[in-house]
Amino acid sequence: MPQEASEIEEQALEALDAGDFRGALTLLMDAYGNAVYRFCRHLVADAELAEDAHQMTFVQAFESLQGFSRRSTLRTWLFSIARHRCLDAAKINRRRQARFQAVPELPDSPLKETPPDERLAAAARQKALNRCLGKLQAKVRAAILLRYQQDLSYPEMARAAGEQPATLQARVARAMPVLRRCLEGQGAVP
Amino acid sequence: MNNSKTTCDRFEREGLLQLEAGEPLDSHFETCQDCLQARADYEQLAADLSALGSEDEPPADWQAQTWNRIDARQKRSSLRPRVSWLAPLVAAAAVTFLILRTPTPLKVPDRFEVFVESGSGVSRSLDAKPGDRLVLRGPTHDAVYAELRVYRDDRELILHCSTEPPCQREAGVLAATIELPTVGRYQAVLLLSESPLPEPTGDGLSSDAASVLILGAGFELGGEIDVR
Repeated sequence: MPQEASEIEEQALEALDAGDFRGALTLLMDAYGNAVYRFCRHLVADAELAEDAHQMTFVQAFESLQGFSRRSTLRTWLFSIARHRCLDAAKINRRRQARFQAVPELPDSPLKETPPDERLAAAARQKALNRCLGKLQAKVRAAILLRYQQDLSYPEMARAAGEQPATLQARVARAMPVLRRCLEGQGAVP
Repeated sequence: MNNSKTTCDRFEREGLLQLEAGEPLDSHFETCQDCLQARADYEQLAADLSALGSEDEPPADWQAQTWNRIDARQKRSSLRPRVSWLAPLVAAAAVTFLILRTPTPLKVPDRFEVFVESGSGVSRSLDAKPGDRLVLRGPTHDAVYAELRVYRDDRELILHCSTEPPCQREAGVLAATIELPTVGRYQAVLLLSESPLPEPTGDGLSSDAASVLILGAGFELGGEIDVR
């Protein structure tokens, strides 16, 4: 964990010790708000549901801070809450899409028309990646995002997901070739 | 990422798992050209995943919105009478009650009415739009405790009342009317019990249902309303 993150953890724990739960949550919001949002946004796919799950993650965190057991970092604990909230939201989104055939949130753009600028090419790859991630099961998507987007270690992921590290390692290792082939199918090559 | 079909897929079958497990890679992967290419491709994929949404940001006022939700939940909670000092007495009374009489679930009301009112009138359709009103009317069958709850998307409790507004209990009917604020799937629940109902768990409909049903309380779901 970067120094800055460990300092934030320390400050948040000091706030908890002092009974300043609002102060502790404010620190967590400032430090991890964007990261949790990125995680929810790409796990849920629907912007509105992702925003709701993102906020509810911090609401639930506030209501649970008093009972924080300190068996993990606050960041891991927060992602554990976010994972539950966002998987629920992803489930709702899937049900909604099944019933109403919702328009995909991230519309396809023909990659062959992307100008040969590196940044635009990377953006196009990210769009394709989003589409391919969306084809994975939500639990698999969550594992991939926690591992690579959020850079959690497998022991941290295991605490957040309540599963064994080896299970998560196998899940990620099996999903990567699926993602790769999906990207190849979309012509999303560097 | 290489479009060409690799002839050796050992990296995908074994190498990836070794990397994820933090184990050293087999020596095969140092010399096999297909595997070296596959590894380079996966490193690029990992880099793309790492950068995924790096420019995404939540709405500017998300922290204020979150605090509003927290404050609203705390306010709702503080409006309910605090009887923590009574808890041991209530618990003892409950145990005595359970010993003397195994609670039998109250008869669930035959009809818990849930319908939507909009500018164009009353509808019994299960579809609504934001701003429409949700009307709930449930027979209480003289139960000592009766409550109405409404959940959004099975998780968020947006109504929880018994005798205080917007709930109104009279002539054997518990009724409430609320505005449907945003899109979502709304589920109304009528609870009836002879003993005090537990506070909502905060974990949504399923958890609350479990904590209520264990008391032997009556629990009736209204029709699901889709607001879109």
